[in-house]
Amino acid sequence: MIVPMEHLLILATLLFVLGLGCVLVRRNLIMILIGVEIMINSVGLVLVGASAFWQQVDGQIMVLILMAITAAEVAIGLALVVYLHQQKKSIDVGIFDEMRG
Amino acid sequence: MIATLMFYLLGAVALGATGMAIIQRNPVYAVIYLVKSIFALALIFYLLGAPLVAALQVIVYAGAIMVLFLFVIMMLEVTPTSAVEATAPGWVQWAPVLFLALTLVALTLILIGLDPLASEGVPRWHASPRDFGYSLFKEYALAVKIISFQLSFAAVGAFHVGMTERKRAQLEDVS
Amino acid sequence: MDILLTLILLLPLAGGVINACFGKRLPRPVPVFIACGAVIGSFLAAVGSFSLAAGDGYRLVLFTWLKSGNFQADVGLLFDPLAAIMTLMVTGVASLIHLYAVGYMEDDSDQVRFFALLNLFVFAMLTIVLADNLLLLFLGWEGVGFCSYGLIGFWYRKSENAAAGRKAFIVTRIGDLFFAVALLWLFALFGTISIEGINAQVAGLDMTTITLLSLLLLVGACGKSAQLPLMSWLPDAMAGPTPVSALIHAATMVTAGVYLLCRMFPLISLSPTAMAAIALVGIATALYAATCALAQNEIKRVLAYSTMSQVGYMFLAVGLGSVSAAMFHLITHAFFKALLFMAAGCVINLAGHENDIRRMGGMRRRSPLVFWLFIAGLLCLAGAPLTSGFFSKDLILATAFAHGDLFHQGLYGLGVVTALLTSFYCFRLAYLVFGGDYRGDELPHEPNGLMLWPLWPLALLGLGGGLLNLPHLFGGDSWLSGWLGREQDVLHLTITSEYLLIGTALAVFALGWLLAALRYRRYVHRPGSVTAEFLLNGWRADELFDLLLVRPFKKIGRFCSQGVEIGLIEGVLSGTVRGCNDLGTRLRGLGAGKVNLYLHGLVWGFVVIVGWFLLRALI
Repeated sequence: MIVPMEHLLILATLLFVLGLGCVLVRRNLIMILIGVEIMINSVGLVLVGASAFWQQVDGQIMVLILMAITAAEVAIGLALVVYLHQQKKSIDVGIFDEMRG
Repeated sequence: MIATLMFYLLGAVALGATGMAIIQRNPVYAVIYLVKSIFALALIFYLLGAPLVAALQVIVYAGAIMVLFLFVIMMLEVTPTSAVEATAPGWVQWAPVLFLALTLVALTLILIGLDPLASEGVPRWHASPRDFGYSLFKEYALAVKIISFQLSFAAVGAFHVGMTERKRAQLEDVS
Repeated sequence: MDILLTLILLLPLAGGVINACFGKRLPRPVPVFIACGAVIGSFLAAVGSFSLAAGDGYRLVLFTWLKSGNFQADVGLLFDPLAAIMTLMVTGVASLIHLYAVGYMEDDSDQVRFFALLNLFVFAMLTIVLADNLLLLFLGWEGVGFCSYGLIGFWYRKSENAAAGRKAFIVTRIGDLFFAVALLWLFALFGTISIEGINAQVAGLDMTTITLLSLLLLVGACGKSAQLPLMSWLPDAMAGPTPVSALIHAATMVTAGVYLLCRMFPLISLSPTAMAAIALVGIATALYAATCALAQNEIKRVLAYSTMSQVGYMFLAVGLGSVSAAMFHLITHAFFKALLFMAAGCVINLAGHENDIRRMGGMRRRSPLVFWLFIAGLLCLAGAPLTSGFFSKDLILATAFAHGDLFHQGLYGLGVVTALLTSFYCFRLAYLVFGGDYRGDELPHEPNGLMLWPLWPLALLGLGGGLLNLPHLFGGDSWLSGWLGREQDVLHLTITSEYLLIGTALAVFALGWLLAALRYRRYVHRPGSVTAEFLLNGWRADELFDLLLVRPFKKIGRFCSQGVEIGLIEGVLSGTVRGCNDLGTRLRGLGAGKVNLYLHGLVWGFVVIVGWFLLRALI
């Protein structure tokens, strides 16, 4: 036994919360996406930990699929950041307020 | 024993690296720190008996996704002296998030505490790549197909969205 | 018969209402005719129905005004001897004054309003006189208050006149408050507010209740009759036109207080304390007013203080237990005081619209007729032998003397002193106005014929009015006391006492005349001494009231308006408005399209929802 499950879960929670903080506080679009990455990472940790706990490999497979999805999402997300930069010459999230009203 | 120690050590490294990453002014530095965190996590995965996932974490996550981030950062020439975030967020901005974080942690702790299984230890095991592969292509074959589709239309979408102005105008002239 | 009685009330009301609503549209002489006709008609109706009132009187209920549970107030007339004689006096004097007013207000552009108010006033006064229950009486009470406000401040464009009207209304209102409390208390005690009903049941009450009720009624009467301490409005009320002074402040409104006390006499006579209080108030006011009249420089103000003093005598009479003495003096006073006021109006015109007697003099030469009429009134007021004033004042003083004990002898003494002062200021007025040479430099403005001939009947009534209640010594049978059913008021003194009293009265009259002649026969300009100033200002009573009541009241008003109203209430309201505005501005920030905010909202919402479900599962 490596470590009690709760310790693993606490570590994952802390990583998740750090990523969440990054998303909420930073105004740079890229930093927000990085925050999302951190959060996804922590979920991956939980999945692996769970698969180790139950001694089944399904959790790891889910992590693989998660990574693939993350790759796709990052690709499109960063393409969108490029597009927005083309539109407004800035990637400050406060500038993109067309959703107002 | 060693594994337990390693786990805590690597956990501390991951947390520290992530913490440093989120307060960086320069996004490049943030990405580098994040890569460090990813490495630590990969080692934790190995400890938890997932060697293939650990390798894939380094190759795909650190090697592809973070590199993509760096590409885009370089392309957009986001520097600390640019208008964006001339000053890093200070105490005031972090305070509500801190409160939020504590709330979430508290919630999670409550949830964890409620579960009797949580105090059981994670056993040592090792999932060989062979077992991994079998399970992947037998039970989750459909999932593999679907995510390969997804990767292809993600590529198409990224290509389309990320076009330069000139290219977009050219295409519209044609249509 | 019922119709005649109803007409007494209705004619002035109709006249007033028609003039108020349509008077402006009618051609010039018509409203005046309507007004005078209404009052004269009322007088004739009163004469016609006079016989109804003999003995027990006549009751007529016109309709039920209010009815709720136990409480019932009808519009009903109680035409008993007291009411009948008062009605006759009120309508008679009012008719003569209306005729006088036609001449006086000839040049005024606002005649219609004047005559409408005058008619309504007569209606309200008759309501007081004829009412058979206290609520209807109170209605008339308030009505005369309102009409007097409108009439005193008739020339409202000058702010002093409006202020005088306001002062009269407010001060009498204070008295009305006490009256209203007494009214409600009486209803609570007896379940009825009918005057006869109350008077019949008073015997069963305990002394404290009776005393308190009587004192409340006394204060109410003081307000309307301008007695201490609610007397400060009467001198200022001279700002109104002279017919108003004659009607309201000589004959009718100021006597309403006395009339109320006479109406409720069975109640108030049961309490010796209250009777003593009434007598004291009366004599104190009489003395106070007589001293003030000594120093006044405006002709109408002398007469105003004189009215206050004579009404004090009437209160004294009620306090001594003699209703007929009070009513006798009331009626004779109405005659000669109305005469005096109207003649004063003629004198003011003769002196070129000048009020100040220091700038008059020699008026006798300008108009001997006015001189003799005025003198007739003054003789009655001063108590010259065989005038009505002599008989009525003497009856009051004799009643005081006849009680025998020290307190009443003291009252008698003070009454004699007051009579001396009365005689003194009467002849002072006569000498300063009519004697010597004219001291001013205005041209006379000849009084209208209409202003002169209504004075004749009043002069005759004033001089001969003693016949109403001639005492036995002079060969009479005290008709008034008999008519009112109050034989107990007829005095039976020894011949010596009677002669003593008459002698004292004559001596006082002559002494006053002598002193006045000595001082004022030849006009000497004397600079105002401190005493004169003090008396001129009514013992500075106005300033005392200002200090005690008006200034604290204004402070409270300022506190409420600025402190409470502006500071607190508007502060709270404005604060709420500002708070809502701020909140709105801040909330508007939420919809600004800031991605950051949306992310925050997402996470916080998630936390709230999960937390809610979690806690629900836990607890």
